[in-house]
Amino acid sequence: MRIWLSLAMASAWSRRSALLVVVLSVSISVALILSVMQIRADARSSFSEAVSGVDLIVGPRGSPTELLMYTVFQLGRATRNMPAETEQAISGLRGVQWVVPMQLGDTYRNHAVWGSRPELFERLRVRGQPISFAQGRSFADPRSSGLQSVFELVLGAELADRFGHQLQDSIVLTHGAGGPLAQNHEQTPFRVVGILAPTGGPIDRAAVISLEGFEAMHLGWGLGEFQGLRGALALLKPLEQLGSVDELKPRELTSLLVGLESRGQVFAVRRAIESIPTTPLMAVLPGVALDDLWRALAVGENSLLVVGGLVALASVLSISAVLLVSIASRRREFAVLRAVGARPRGLLVMLALESAFIAIAGIVLGLCAQQLLIYASADSLRTMMGISLRPLSIPGEGWLALAAVMLMASMASLLPAVRAYRMSLQDGLNPPYV
Amino acid sequence: MNPSSSFVCLLTHVRFEWTPLDADSPSPSLIAIDELSLAAGSSLFVGGASGSGKSTLLGLLSGVLQPRLGDVWVAGLNLAQASAAQRDRLRADHLGVIFQQFNLLPYLSVIENVLLPTRFSSLRLAQSRDRFGGPRAQAEHLLRSLGLDASLWARMAHQLSLGQQQRVAACRALMGSPQLVIADEPTSALDEDNRQSFLELLLRAQREQGAALVLVSHDRRMASSFEQVLDLGKV
Repeated sequence: MRIWLSLAMASAWSRRSALLVVVLSVSISVALILSVMQIRADARSSFSEAVSGVDLIVGPRGSPTELLMYTVFQLGRATRNMPAETEQAISGLRGVQWVVPMQLGDTYRNHAVWGSRPELFERLRVRGQPISFAQGRSFADPRSSGLQSVFELVLGAELADRFGHQLQDSIVLTHGAGGPLAQNHEQTPFRVVGILAPTGGPIDRAAVISLEGFEAMHLGWGLGEFQGLRGALALLKPLEQLGSVDELKPRELTSLLVGLESRGQVFAVRRAIESIPTTPLMAVLPGVALDDLWRALAVGENSLLVVGGLVALASVLSISAVLLVSIASRRREFAVLRAVGARPRGLLVMLALESAFIAIAGIVLGLCAQQLLIYASADSLRTMMGISLRPLSIPGEGWLALAAVMLMASMASLLPAVRAYRMSLQDGLNPPYV
Repeated sequence: MNPSSSFVCLLTHVRFEWTPLDADSPSPSLIAIDELSLAAGSSLFVGGASGSGKSTLLGLLSGVLQPRLGDVWVAGLNLAQASAAQRDRLRADHLGVIFQQFNLLPYLSVIENVLLPTRFSSLRLAQSRDRFGGPRAQAEHLLRSLGLDASLWARMAHQLSLGQQQRVAACRALMGSPQLVIADEPTSALDEDNRQSFLELLLRAQREQGAALVLVSHDRRMASSFEQVLDLGKV
C-alpha cells in the first residue's frame, strides 16, 4: 500500500498541470457550497442573537418581517409611524414589564440614528449580553434633566472606531437615508457623551440619541418641505426660544420594543396590543418573524446550493474524464509496473489514490479560498447586511458536504480504474507503443 | 517431484497459438517447443524473424500467456497451471524484464527505478540484504557495474539518453537477484557502439548476479556471446 501511495503521488505530480485544472474546478464548487452554508448559518446566528431580551416589537400594522428588519437591523424601507400615545397605551397593558420606544429615519454617514430613551441600554441584550459603555455615559433623559441634554449622543463601538470619534466630538446628522442630495441637520450638532463597548449586534453601527433630540433636529422641517421659504424660516426658530422640554415631546414613533413579565404571556399581550381600537397595530415575536424570513430566503439559498452541487458533480465527472484520458497514454507505465511485479489490482489502488489526491487538493484549496473570501468580505457584509461572518467556523453541514465531495471523487475513479485494470490484464507486458 | 529442480526454466511439449479471428484464416503465430531447459546462471539467445514467436515465448516465460498444451516451469512453478495471482507473485519474486524501450517510470529517479523490484517483493528485498547488505548498496553496485556514473543516479529517468535508460533497465531487472531475466530486443533502439557495450555489460552483470538470461533478438550477430542459442522458426 505504501509503495502505491508514493507511486501515485509521484505519477500525479508529473502530470500536475493537467490535474491542476481539475483541482481548481473541485475547489470552486467546494468554495461555493461552503460559502452558501456558512453565510446562511452566520446570518441566522447574527440575526437571531441580535434581538435577545426583547419579547415583542410593536409597530403599525403591516409586514412583520419588514418591521423587524427595519427596527432591529435597519434593513429595508421605513415603515409607517404610529402616534406617540401608543407607548402609554401599551405600557399600561397587563403583563408588560417595560416599553422602549424607537424613532428611526435619519442617518450619520449612512449609518442609522436611533432615537430612543436611556432605558434602551438597560433593556437591550445582544447575544445575551447587556450593553456596556467603553467610555462616557448614556445620554441623559431630557424629560428629567432639561434642555441642555437634548443634543447628547452615544456612539456604537464600530461607528466610533471607524470615524475616529472621541468623547465631546461634535457630530452633525443627516436627514433621511443620506445620499448626495440629503440635507444635513447643520443647526443642531450633537455632542458625543458615550461610546459603547462592542456587542456584535447592529447597535455597534448606530448613533443613539434621545427622542427629544430627534424631534429637535426636525423642528420646522415638515413645514419646510411643503412651504418652501416660509418653512426654511421656521428652521431659524432658535431652540433657546423653546419654553420647556415638553415642546419636544415626540408626536410619532417608529416602533416599540416591549419586554414582558413572563414569556408565557406573550400571546395574550400580543392579542391585547392588536385589539387596541385607536390605532391598527401589530406585535411581532422576533424569533417567529425571523423564521418567516428564513423560510422566504430558503428558496434562494437552496438554489445556490443546487448550483454548488451541480458544479461539484461536474468537477467530479471531470476527474473521471481526465483519468480516462490519462490511462490510454499510461499503458507503458502500467506495463512497466506489471513487469516489476505489481499486481493488476494495484493499478486500481493507484487510480483511486490519484482521484483522492485531486479531491483532497481541491477541498483544501477550496476551503482556503472560501475562508479568505469570508475574511475579506466580512467587513462589508457586516456594514451592509448586518451579518457578522466568523472565519474558521464551518457549520456541521459544511463538513458533511466535503465528505460527500470526497466520496463522489472516489467513485469517479471507479470507471477509469476498472478500465486500466482490464487493459493491463490484456496488455500484459506488451502494450502497444503509443 | 518437481521436474524443474535443476533448471531455472524448463519447457516441455509446449504448444501455443493465437486464437484465429475467424475460422478460415490460419493462426497468425505458433510455438511448438518439445523441450527447452535453462540452467541457473546460463544464457540463452532466441533468434528468428519477426512473427516467428519470439515475443510469444517471452510471454509464456513471464506468465503473461499460457500455453494451450505442455508445461512451462519457471523457478519451480508450472506457469501453465498457476493462477494469475501466483504468476504475478512469480514475476515479482523471480523475474527481471527488459523491454525494447520505455522501461522506466519517467516520474521516478534512476535509483528509485532500480529499487522498484525490492519494493514489490520481500523475497528480493531479503536477497538484496543478504548479499549486499541492503537494496541501496546493491542498486549502487549494479549501476556502477553497468557504467552509470553516480552523478546520474538522482536524475529523473526521462533525462537520460536511450543507451543509459536501457542500462538502468538492466540494473532493475537484476535487482534483488532474480533467477531469470528476460530481455525483449533490448538493443534494437540503440546505435552500434551502445549495442555492443550494453550486451557486454549485461552479460557480465548477469553472470556476476547468478541470474539466467533469455534474450530475444532478430540480430544474429549477438548469438555468439551466449551459451545456448534457439532459433525459432527452425524448431
